[in-house]
Amino acid sequence: MTQTSRPPSPPRLKTTGLPDDQPEDDHDVFMSEQPATFLSGHPILPEDMDIRDLMPSQLYEMNQNLLNESVPQKPLIDELASMSVLREEYEHGSASFLRQIDYLTKDGYDCVRRTRGDGDCFYRSVAYAFVERLLYSPDPTMAVGSALSQIESTLPMLTGARFDPFVYEDFMECFTTLIQSIVVPDREGLTLTPQSLLDAFQQPESSNSIVVYLRLLTSAQIRADPDAYAGFLHDPDNYMELQLETFCQHYVEAVGKEADHVQIAALSRALKINVKIAYLDGRDPQEVGKVDFHEFIFADDTTSSSLVLLYRPGHYDVLGRSSSRI
Amino acid sequence: MASISSRRLRKELTEITTQGCPVGIKLLNADNFETWLFSIEVLGETLYQGEVFKLMFRFDSQYPISSPAVQFVVDNEFQAPIHPHVYSNGHICASILGNEWSPVLSVSAVCVTLQSMLASCKVKERPQGNDQYVRYAPDNPKKTRFHYDGKHHRV
Repeated sequence: MTQTSRPPSPPRLKTTGLPDDQPEDDHDVFMSEQPATFLSGHPILPEDMDIRDLMPSQLYEMNQNLLNESVPQKPLIDELASMSVLREEYEHGSASFLRQIDYLTKDGYDCVRRTRGDGDCFYRSVAYAFVERLLYSPDPTMAVGSALSQIESTLPMLTGARFDPFVYEDFMECFTTLIQSIVVPDREGLTLTPQSLLDAFQQPESSNSIVVYLRLLTSAQIRADPDAYAGFLHDPDNYMELQLETFCQHYVEAVGKEADHVQIAALSRALKINVKIAYLDGRDPQEVGKVDFHEFIFADDTTSSSLVLLYRPGHYDVLGRSSSRI
Repeated sequence: MASISSRRLRKELTEITTQGCPVGIKLLNADNFETWLFSIEVLGETLYQGEVFKLMFRFDSQYPISSPAVQFVVDNEFQAPIHPHVYSNGHICASILGNEWSPVLSVSAVCVTLQSMLASCKVKERPQGNDQYVRYAPDNPKKTRFHYDGKHHRV
């Protein structure tokens, strides 16, 4: 537990310079995850904050919150969309992004399944792609059986991380029940379909429960082998090295905190999966539209295919090929 | 099927009733899965020796994915502790109740953290701007946009 070294700066009331009528030299901002205001209608704003003092991640979070508040209906995870839809959004923007989108499309990645930008997008994307691959497996019974036994085998790691069973068991059950339903009919005699899979991931309780389970698993994996991750545990704001406990508590277990290399590697390792991430980041010095793929290879089976995600700065979606689903 | 929230709270309650609360914490009331009340005192030599406070937890259907609303009760019998992170209406400015909340934490863990927040207090004083905050504060402290002051303000 971290001790406090000085009192907090108090919340203050602000009645002028709100976002709609912001004077030029006044850059106060909201600094909280709770999109709520005072009953009186006056939001609390830290008056001593200046937008130039914000960390990149705070700016990102603020933008993301504003974006989410302005588009409240955006689903947690969306229907599969053609890559051309994504391309349209960049048409008036960066040429290097457009070249990279074209590169991916030519490479066969012609569709994308978008996730809400709530900081849980990596975990949600991986979970969705993981279950979807089982659903489309040529031998679902076998695939489901081996996925469930892999998940089962991580239990000692969760207890080793000293999580109380009540902390993870309901979340874990939510994930295993969904996977099980690919082959075992539920009480109504139904097995999982692509539509019911999407429904489960759009419904906040089941979707977020699965995200939490994967966060706990990621944290347990990091805690189980600290040496493998030591030296890579950084504060995303300032790149200061963090203690393992702080890193796991604040940047893995807490919901809404974006995943980076360490979390991706740890989760891939815990689930024994291969994860391949396409970096759509506009970094294209040769102007040829090349996209870098980062691969995290942890499957025992050398023939195992990768779950493929699309990364744009601060956000992950599921990347797909329409041909592979027909 | 019961919601994740009530399943989890049932388990926490079972643990509390079978294994007892942490030292210095007593369960006063947990008749439902919406509001629980505890008494809390800090043992040992601290600025709050001999003082007993009352803590209120309010849970929404998103618990434990979202944090509980936690505050000290202020009524005829109880006052909020005088502490730089505790407003006189009982609202607490603590990052673990806000952006550092995680489902790994539990009701017991929050109680223990608040105990140690009190135990480590050096000066009994209200947060700056207490009066102004209290005048306009919403009923539910989760509706306040607390600003956790970076590295200096993590409890």
